[in-house]
Amino acid sequence: MISLAKRCVAEIVGTFLLVFFGAGAAAITLMLAKGEAPLNDFNIGIGYLGGLGDWLAIGLAFGLAIAAAIYALGRVSGAHINPAVTIALWASKRFPTAEVVPYIIAQLIGAALASTLFFACAGPDAVLVGGLGATAPFPGISYGQAILVEAIGTFLLMLAIMGVAVDKLAPEGFAGLIIGLTVAGIITTTGNIAGSSLNPARTFGPYIGNTLFGGGNLWEFFPIYIIGPIVGALVAVFLYDWLTSE
Amino acid sequence: MKCYICAEEGKDSDAVAICIVCGMGVCKHHAIREEIEKWEGGYPFPAKKVKTNIPRILCPPCHNALTS
Repeated sequence: MISLAKRCVAEIVGTFLLVFFGAGAAAITLMLAKGEAPLNDFNIGIGYLGGLGDWLAIGLAFGLAIAAAIYALGRVSGAHINPAVTIALWASKRFPTAEVVPYIIAQLIGAALASTLFFACAGPDAVLVGGLGATAPFPGISYGQAILVEAIGTFLLMLAIMGVAVDKLAPEGFAGLIIGLTVAGIITTTGNIAGSSLNPARTFGPYIGNTLFGGGNLWEFFPIYIIGPIVGALVAVFLYDWLTSE
Repeated sequence: MKCYICAEEGKDSDAVAICIVCGMGVCKHHAIREEIEKWEGGYPFPAKKVKTNIPRILCPPCHNALTS
């Protein structure tokens, strides 16, 4: 097997791609919408350009970056690019205990690098207007609702990973495309509820970037994006194993 | 089966292998054996190299075509 160090580099690169292009798309959407009609409780800027199509565009940016990462790096590290996926595979005894922490650290580093370089590319408005694509519950959404929607979204993501990639009966070659499109669909539906992170690292990167470069302090919401995705992924992996066991 | 290359040279020798690409029979002298690495697994798990390589036998023309 390829060395753990190289696999961690692959996780850094994969998570970097996810956050730079995915969260970057959310930040760019907010920057484009700046100056449009006055905001309301259910519309913070994403939605002015194309309604729900804004979320579809953001979802596709995530999905295509995920597909690219899976096809490019899947054979190297497994391209988890998501601590919730790593933890779910570990919990179901499919991933070694000793490699869980290095993988998660690599994913967090990749996400932080992505937000830092996105700020370097797009400038101060990326932080001040776009918030680097950080996720937070939308107005009127409670902490519990946000955890629930993140759990449900990650449940579908992990269920797709199990069916399209982990299962030995899965058709070969489709994993990247299907998982990417699944993420795009989840974001389209749930993006305007709590940001549809589905991934603690994806939220960590923009949060770190906002802290470093003068953006808002959203850390009080970080537990949402740890608890929700991990719970959703765990339920999916154990449900899938139960459903497919004889 | 006879070795195709030897037959072209006017010699008569028994084939000991068949080129995996073109199906030509080749004698031990003309058979080119290569070891191919085999990897298993992949997303969402790192691919693992299988300990034993897979042998692949080619005739000289196909070997030249594939390596040139």
